Amino acid sequence: MSPTFERPITEQQKEIAQRLPAGENLLLDYLHKLERHRRGRRAVLARLSSLQAVNRREHHIRIASSTFEPMVKQLKGQVFTLSNCDLIFVFKEIALHEVESVIVKLRFMFNEDPALTDEGVGNRPSFFDWFLLERDYDSLLHLAQRMASDEEQRRSQEQMNSNKPIAHRRPVRRGEALTTEMLAKLEDALASADLANMLRRQAVCAIVGNTPPQPVFNELFISIADLRETLLPKVNLASSPWLFQQLTETLDRRILSLLNKHDDRTVDGDISINLNVQTLLAPEFLVFDDNIKASMRGTMVLELQKVDIFADLGAFLFARDFAHDRGYRICIDGVNMESLPFVDRVRLGIDLVKIVWDSAMMDGTLPNGETIETYVDRCGPSRSILCRCDAQDAVDFGQSMGITLFQGRHVENMLAAATAAKRGILSRRR
Amino acid sequence: MGDAICRVTRCAGIGRNPTDIGAKGKKMNIPVPGGDGPEIVTQESLLLGAAERISRIRDGRVAVHIHLSRLRPQNRQDGHVRIALRMLEPIVNAYRGQMFLLGTSDIVFMMKDPYVTDVENMIYKLRALFSKDPLTFQDGGDGQDKFCTWYELGESGDYEEFLQVARAATAAARKRVREKDAAPAERRSIDSKILGEVLTRLATMDVSKLIRRQAAMVIAKETQAVVLFQEFFVAMAELQRVLAPDINLMGNRWLFQHLSQTLDLRVLGALTGMKLRAQPNVYSLNLNISAVGDRAFEQFETHVKGQAGISVEMQILDILGDSRGFYATRQTLRDRGHMVTIDGLNELTMQFLDITQFDADLYKVTWSPDMTEGEHALTMSKAVATIGGDKILLARCDSEAAIGWGLNRGIKRFQGRYIDTMLAAFTMQSCDKASACTLAQCTNRHAVIAGPLRSECGNNDMLDSSPVMRAPRARSQ
Repeated sequence: MSPTFERPITEQQKEIAQRLPAGENLLLDYLHKLERHRRGRRAVLARLSSLQAVNRREHHIRIASSTFEPMVKQLKGQVFTLSNCDLIFVFKEIALHEVESVIVKLRFMFNEDPALTDEGVGNRPSFFDWFLLERDYDSLLHLAQRMASDEEQRRSQEQMNSNKPIAHRRPVRRGEALTTEMLAKLEDALASADLANMLRRQAVCAIVGNTPPQPVFNELFISIADLRETLLPKVNLASSPWLFQQLTETLDRRILSLLNKHDDRTVDGDISINLNVQTLLAPEFLVFDDNIKASMRGTMVLELQKVDIFADLGAFLFARDFAHDRGYRICIDGVNMESLPFVDRVRLGIDLVKIVWDSAMMDGTLPNGETIETYVDRCGPSRSILCRCDAQDAVDFGQSMGITLFQGRHVENMLAAATAAKRGILSRRR
Repeated sequence: MGDAICRVTRCAGIGRNPTDIGAKGKKMNIPVPGGDGPEIVTQESLLLGAAERISRIRDGRVAVHIHLSRLRPQNRQDGHVRIALRMLEPIVNAYRGQMFLLGTSDIVFMMKDPYVTDVENMIYKLRALFSKDPLTFQDGGDGQDKFCTWYELGESGDYEEFLQVARAATAAARKRVREKDAAPAERRSIDSKILGEVLTRLATMDVSKLIRRQAAMVIAKETQAVVLFQEFFVAMAELQRVLAPDINLMGNRWLFQHLSQTLDLRVLGALTGMKLRAQPNVYSLNLNISAVGDRAFEQFETHVKGQAGISVEMQILDILGDSRGFYATRQTLRDRGHMVTIDGLNELTMQFLDITQFDADLYKVTWSPDMTEGEHALTMSKAVATIGGDKILLARCDSEAAIGWGLNRGIKRFQGRYIDTMLAAFTMQSCDKASACTLAQCTNRHAVIAGPLRSECGNNDMLDSSPVMRAPRARSQ
């Protein structure tokens, strides 16, 4: 399963994502701490929110934010990613030159975007805003407060919607609902669309203690967010879960044919792909299996959706045994806190369970009263992956439950930071 | 695909290899003028040709016949067969063999001087893949292996016997091909485009004629059986016929799930407007979690309030899809005094899921004769003991054996054709109009809530009543 922002399965999962602590609060906390240390500090605001949607995808934001990471590592500053994708970097003056060079990099990254080409034209605000804390502390604080309260309001709105009794609960509407007509069009478009540029990878990493994350395998997936923006910008794909499931099945098949075409190193190394049981038994998979065998294959993980497994257990068992015989590992994907009690890894004969991070987990127990720790213990700490970790508290919590494998936006950031730090050390040695 | 296989198939004029399931069946050659009709080339006739060609060079050759056709239909779909072929391919190629996929899904392969242990190991693996099918665990009692048959083709071997098998298969295939030509084309599977049209049609359709009902029975005391609830559901075959006769509505699981959400609301609407002579004590309805949150359900609730109870039957698929919704719905239903039932359980779900996690009031398990044998029998006994016979309903009981099996395990709730007949027979015993009807008529009329079948019955009061019957007894097993 890809992260929430890529494959929103249900409204509930979206709600979970929205409850995660946001950069706004972290920024506000940080600014309060700096109240007496304003001197010699500056901040820069990068208005990534004004970029066009195509330039504002999750990986853009991640890359943009990671350009500041080396300075964060050297304790020269702190970077905050806000809910609207804007970045704020608060730094010590000694790093000014470095910051400026980062800004050049960012300008270069987005130099085709109207937000930069038309910068300052008409009412368009400048893309970067600078703050001298000694002078502009209050205005920055106000900005942060306003953003935090906006964010707070949005969240409580979501919360209220989700707390309504079930009979009155209607899905939160963001965009039109996905209809069968749209799905048909989408499937037609997918048959001919080049999805190669929508192929993404995200690492599942081992994180033990404070050591930097060690990638264990990379998940390959087609970014639903990108797909939606390209093909159906106004449609809320999560509005019809079963139609959405049908769409992912189509996509899974497309990924296979995409990987079958790629003779480069896309499928090299340790990777995982999303599949469904029927596709595992389809000719496309056998071709894939042949191709993989031809190259040096590392760990191959096949991720199956929980609904797909339980929809036809007989077919699943057959596919599972075949996959195991071929040396693949099977991961059950998309298991949220609520469905965890139904998923007995050992009984199902599955190798890995992907548990969807949910801040509600911090309350400690599953719906059946069992603790997550007990579950992880039974499942096997090296068999449980906590995915969609969007913030450090997810990793902290997972570790406290005995989990060692993590995936998500935050893990990507940690990985990028670790890589950048390593590069930093190397260049200093040189 | 190995050389040997390709060579055989190519020279016979089939461009596809047996791994391509599409090739299962036939290929028609262009008819020769003056010839006696087109020659039908099938995998079977290729097998026969290959078997005949080796008649002088049989030494060291063996053939193996894998009887996939004996598997349950759900276990021998294209995907299963494709994987089976894939598993066998390397070994068949290694011994320069030839492999044939017959129209029945059986696989036959021939090899020269194989290392038998290798082949046996491969077949063992293949058998393990099908370990959930009775074919691999059922003991016929005659010591014969039902999964596969070996033929020694060398001198003093089974060559003649093998030739007979190939000939019979060829003849059967030819017959099949001819019949298939005469038979109507298979229904197209539903796709998202067609689903749109189907939903439009469904929106304006009167579904009440498609609604069926079936009573479930509970053994109250030693000797008494009473109606536990009446389940109201849509007859899928009927729906299929009325809505889209040339489309297989269930050909795509996810699209069907989407369709069922709309169907739920239509059924709730129809039931709200339905007029029965007597309300059942409990209405049992198959619903999606989304339907329970809909106004249509509230309206139905209001409609039956104070007159009948409600039991909602939910599917595992739906629960796993929206577990959070399930917990909330379960609570809501209980708060309003309704019953929560988990539907569609079978010997596999009982084995691979901890059913008690659903914390439902009733678990509906689909009866299958497989439950009486091997691994499944063990699983079921254990599961029934864990959950408790009181919380289980054995559904689709079509025989006395089903009831007996359940009774012997402490199960007291039953549903299915056997119960339908029991109910009809009991009705006819006390119905003053019974002399005009047959048992089958009475059974069929019980099953509908509207339409001609119902109006044919002279005593609708009896149809809607929930009598107390004599309980069936278990014969010792």
